[in-house]
Amino acid sequence: MNDESPLQNPQSKIQNLRYRITFATRQTLAYVSVLELGKIWERSLRRAGMPLKYSQGYNPRPKLHFAAPLPVGCGSEADLMDVWLETPVDPAMMLAALTGVVPQDLSVIDVHAVPEDEAALSEQLVAAEYRVWLRDVAPETVQSAVTNFLNSDTLALAKRGRKYRGKTYDLRLLVEALHLEDAPAPWIGLWMRIHARPGATGRPDEVLKALNLVDTPRRCTRSRLILAS
Amino acid sequence: MTNTYHPIPWETIEALLHRVQKPGRYVGGEYNAIHKPWETTDTHICLAFPDIYELGMSNFALAIFYDLLNAQPDILAERTYLPAPDMIAQMRQAHLPLYTLESYRPVAAFDILAISTAYEQLYTNVLELLDLAGIPLRAADRDATHPLIVGGGHGTFNPEPVADFFDVFVIGEAEAVFLELIDTWRAHRHLPREAQLRALLDVPGLYVPRFYQPTGEFGAVTPTDPATPARILKRLLPMLPPTPVRQLVPNVEVTHNRAVVEIQRGCTRGCRFCQAGAITRPVRERPAAEIVESASAILDATGYEEVALLSLSSADHSEIKPLLEALLDRFKGRHVSISLPSLRIESFSVDLADMLAQGRRSGFTFAPEAGSDALRRRINKDIATEDLLAVATEVFTRGWRTLKLYFMLGLPGETDEDIEAIIDLAHRVRRLGLDIGGRKTEIHVSVSTFVPKPHTTFQWAPLADRATVERRQALLRERLRGRGLRLSWNQYDGTRLEALLARGDRRLNVVVEAAWRNGARFDAWDEWRSPEAWERAFDEAGFDVDDALYRPRAEDEPLPWDHLHSGVEKRFFQRDYRRSQAGELLSDCRESCHACGILVNYPGTWTAEWECPEQGVGSKE
Repeated sequence: MNDESPLQNPQSKIQNLRYRITFATRQTLAYVSVLELGKIWERSLRRAGMPLKYSQGYNPRPKLHFAAPLPVGCGSEADLMDVWLETPVDPAMMLAALTGVVPQDLSVIDVHAVPEDEAALSEQLVAAEYRVWLRDVAPETVQSAVTNFLNSDTLALAKRGRKYRGKTYDLRLLVEALHLEDAPAPWIGLWMRIHARPGATGRPDEVLKALNLVDTPRRCTRSRLILAS
Repeated sequence: MTNTYHPIPWETIEALLHRVQKPGRYVGGEYNAIHKPWETTDTHICLAFPDIYELGMSNFALAIFYDLLNAQPDILAERTYLPAPDMIAQMRQAHLPLYTLESYRPVAAFDILAISTAYEQLYTNVLELLDLAGIPLRAADRDATHPLIVGGGHGTFNPEPVADFFDVFVIGEAEAVFLELIDTWRAHRHLPREAQLRALLDVPGLYVPRFYQPTGEFGAVTPTDPATPARILKRLLPMLPPTPVRQLVPNVEVTHNRAVVEIQRGCTRGCRFCQAGAITRPVRERPAAEIVESASAILDATGYEEVALLSLSSADHSEIKPLLEALLDRFKGRHVSISLPSLRIESFSVDLADMLAQGRRSGFTFAPEAGSDALRRRINKDIATEDLLAVATEVFTRGWRTLKLYFMLGLPGETDEDIEAIIDLAHRVRRLGLDIGGRKTEIHVSVSTFVPKPHTTFQWAPLADRATVERRQALLRERLRGRGLRLSWNQYDGTRLEALLARGDRRLNVVVEAAWRNGARFDAWDEWRSPEAWERAFDEAGFDVDDALYRPRAEDEPLPWDHLHSGVEKRFFQRDYRRSQAGELLSDCRESCHACGILVNYPGTWTAEWECPEQGVGSKE
């Protein structure tokens, strides 16, 4: 938070003000909403002394863009976020400054500069992969639910939100892949890859609902975000 | 004994979380949370707030003790809050006891469980918390293998309605006594509970209810043996201690989600309804330079984007304007907002709010408390209607569009004309706003029902009856309608319970327990309160609620809280009650000493920092 940041990279000639942070959340931080995660990041970056770029107006907000909101109850292994700064900072120094000032269940994996004119992360996103571990349920139950799901051609669900009242979408079309995978006891592993395009995004809890596993204890992790190359 | 409790595995907690609302309340992991090694730390303290996480995380007293206790190398302090009803149901079904958010250890594993009794509607939640922790409710049913149950907070100035459930209450400022309590307990930890409690009798400011019994018809208590102090004087710090720096930063949204610096404790205004003002005397200020340094250190350590300056009357801080200038200068360009609660109705306060607004004018709050000049004199709130309108004009002129007006209903001596005066005042303010600021003007009128509290001038007054309160609320609803006017009020069921618990005596313990067994919890929550559970409890105990609520106390009758002394003398309140009935004001006591008792009761503690005027020192009325 000092005026003269020690983190300036003397070699940089162009002003790189947009940075992409790859991060992981687990355990306690799997239970926050996307708005709350935004605040956690804002405060972490402030503690790290990063010169955050704020919006104009009466209620200035830092410019932070997530690739996709994490559902409440879901951690992540490699989520992406873009952050804009007022003055350039060496990405390696940003990474170092963040270490030790983030909450215990947040880790920063990578920081790098990205071109200002690159499309928003949410526009580049095409799919997300999730690992959902389940317990207190028989593997056969899960397997047969998965088989039934994959064998159905269509699965209409009501859209979320008031303005979509009466509208439905096809969850089956959004699920690109779904299968059981190995997991340590007592878990039964489920792996899925779900569409995550603007206007066509599925969520793992909706898949669990369709599988009739909504009340099953689980640990959910988004393992990968897939961007259009 | 405590070593037999292991932490609850994360997987066990995790298995419940998909079934409850806002699971982030139950997992901890906050930045600045302190994790100390259990086995190698001598004394284990659990700090509990008996309501949901969002409220508990906003309680600054808990933050102070978390910091103070964890600063001791041989003490660890962890936190717990009462889960919401959906999580309680899940935990009970899974036989999962209440646990702390740091180590996920069962609360029953701790040596000392300190529970906030910040306000009366928490009492049934205290029972729920103990029960969820697997700890017997009544002190008499516990032994030295159970945590020592300590109560603290404003509610302990009359803890009689829950005296049977606690082992000891801290009277006054726990910062001054907590470590002495722990040291004394340690020196006697291997003795039976009764002997531990007897040892605690020697610590000034601790109230051990076991050694007192009710005498006479009015519910007052007296010591059961000669070694017990007849009266317990609250503990007091001569000066404010340093403010906690590494404040907890919640991961989920909470009620007050910001950094806090307490700039002043106590209040010299002498509003006759105000318990906080009376029991936190004398005034102690934190110097402006220290506030600026603390605020800066806290923001660096937390990343918060807002700092609240806490006090009962912000504008009364003697350096308030230079303080705000210094803070604004220090945080310039760093996107930090500064909030200043409890402003008075005066143009100086408008200046202060204007300095902090930085273009954003969310809403200005006035607390006239009563509608008419006459009733305001009775409650010692010295502001004339015409002055209030002049200040409102200034507020609108400077660009605020929303003005909140706080009133109380059911004040001693109130008539329907005083309600008419509230209505009239709200409409006049609204017209001013419309004339100056236009159609976007909004007036929010909040009318809470007055509850006579112990250790105040109005402690002898009865609660206004339901018919009167509801008739006056209906009058307000009918007349405060229309564009740009919003009205909120309290449900009488909640008020009645608050009044009963605030002024009750030991006979209420059986009632509180019966109500809890009947399902009463979260009595401060309109959506969760259960008046039926309480009604059944009153019937079962044969408790005369009307007598407890509506009988005016005689000035000379013993009161259930007479043995607990805030430093302000009962004689002072008696004189002040008579002044109120005569419509007489009492000036701010920084101007001249009114001999409330603080100075004579703390002769060795007094420092020049107190706002008490020189001539008051040593004086007696």
